[in-house]
Amino acid sequence: MASNTDKIICRCEDITESQVLEAIEKGATTADEVKRLTRAGMGHCQGRTCRRLVNQLLARRLGQRPEDQKPVTQRSPLQPISLKTLADS
Amino acid sequence: MKVPQNADIIIIGGGIVGAATGYHLARAGYRVRLIEKGFLCAGSTGRCIGGIRQQFTSQGSIRLMLESVRHFSSMKEELGVDVHWHPGGYLFLAHSPEKKEAFLANIAVQQSFGLKDVRWVDAYQAGQVAPGLNIDGLLGGSYCPSDGQAYPFAVVAGYAERIRSCGGLVNTFTEVTAIMQGGGRVKGVKTAQGTEYHADIVINAAGPWAREVGQMAGIEVPVEPERHEALITEGVEYLNIPMLVDYRADGGYFQQFRHNGQFIGCYSPVPNVPGHSTDSSYEFLSEMPKRMLKLVPALGPVKVIRQWSGSYENTPDGNPILDRSPLEGFYVIAGMCGHGFMLGPAIGRQAADFIKSGAKEPPIAEFALQREFSRQEAMK
Repeated sequence: MASNTDKIICRCEDITESQVLEAIEKGATTADEVKRLTRAGMGHCQGRTCRRLVNQLLARRLGQRPEDQKPVTQRSPLQPISLKTLADS
Repeated sequence: MKVPQNADIIIIGGGIVGAATGYHLARAGYRVRLIEKGFLCAGSTGRCIGGIRQQFTSQGSIRLMLESVRHFSSMKEELGVDVHWHPGGYLFLAHSPEKKEAFLANIAVQQSFGLKDVRWVDAYQAGQVAPGLNIDGLLGGSYCPSDGQAYPFAVVAGYAERIRSCGGLVNTFTEVTAIMQGGGRVKGVKTAQGTEYHADIVINAAGPWAREVGQMAGIEVPVEPERHEALITEGVEYLNIPMLVDYRADGGYFQQFRHNGQFIGCYSPVPNVPGHSTDSSYEFLSEMPKRMLKLVPALGPVKVIRQWSGSYENTPDGNPILDRSPLEGFYVIAGMCGHGFMLGPAIGRQAADFIKSGAKEPPIAEFALQREFSRQEAMK
């Protein structure tokens, strides 16, 4: 669990490094699985900040290169946009 | 713990149905191997909006959902995972006399099968149970406060963890490519990696791919995938609005998650979109907000952060399949018709008991594999 020295990985969902590492311990091998176990990448920015950090943690634990990690699915909208704006579009 | 190389039972599909069935079997002492071609929850379960209702119209579905709600309400203690169960209620909206009549008849049926707290609310009362609801043209609704919501990823992760802790195995990113058989009975499966896993019982819980997995065994499974889209907003203050279900042609259904305040919703596309595609459309992204704001105008400033799509796995009559097949040892638990997440906990328990008993007849006659498929579940 989070401690005072724990790093925040996903700022939107307030997910810490130890939570990501715990997901990897539980068997997650992809950022997609980390996302679904921890919610890292599910917030407002859709992983713009945490995606690379999650991949680095995965790569380090699994002995891979970060660039070998399977990318998570990118979903629209690119930025949060209000229901009203979308409804009027 | 010594990991078994062979399993008693192989389950194909790492969604709620496979995971719940696996949990109940593993807990009963069977060596379970759960095989999933992607990651857990990568299919329909992880794409659903998390609603859990007991308002169905057939006895089988109502009784199952009463049981499922009992499971969900104690899941935190049972699985040791917070699945964010919250009985926030479901409100089905009637904007026409025909709908009102149908709902009143359904309520009588539901109450007769043990769903005691479902009731008719008039338009004013609907506005009370759903603050901010636009009641223009509304005659009332069918409201059940003990319906609710939970978080699909946590539920499946919890089941999978318990399968492992009972000595079972969970193989992710493992695609089954063949069902091995001999002498009229199932023998195991082959995977894309070339591995053979042996077991005397194999369960097809492959959701939208149940037909394809059935074909590998030479068994016809009448399940057709159909694309549905969904969106989710940022989290806002919890507004105490139950799941709203609007069956009109331009209606939809959405709810707010209690644990983080996000609104999540979808609608049934007309015409339907058959096939395995999980592409997203701009049409949905602009249409769904119109439908949401028509029902709750005050949500206008709430921001959408993501859209996606997933598959309903439909049977011709809108009821699931839970049965053995003509191939001895090969079971089919699929065709949840968009209700897999909510039905899953009870379906899993029923399926496990059925398999343990070795019974020839399915536990729920209306879910038989070889049935007429002529009647329709009305609250689809």
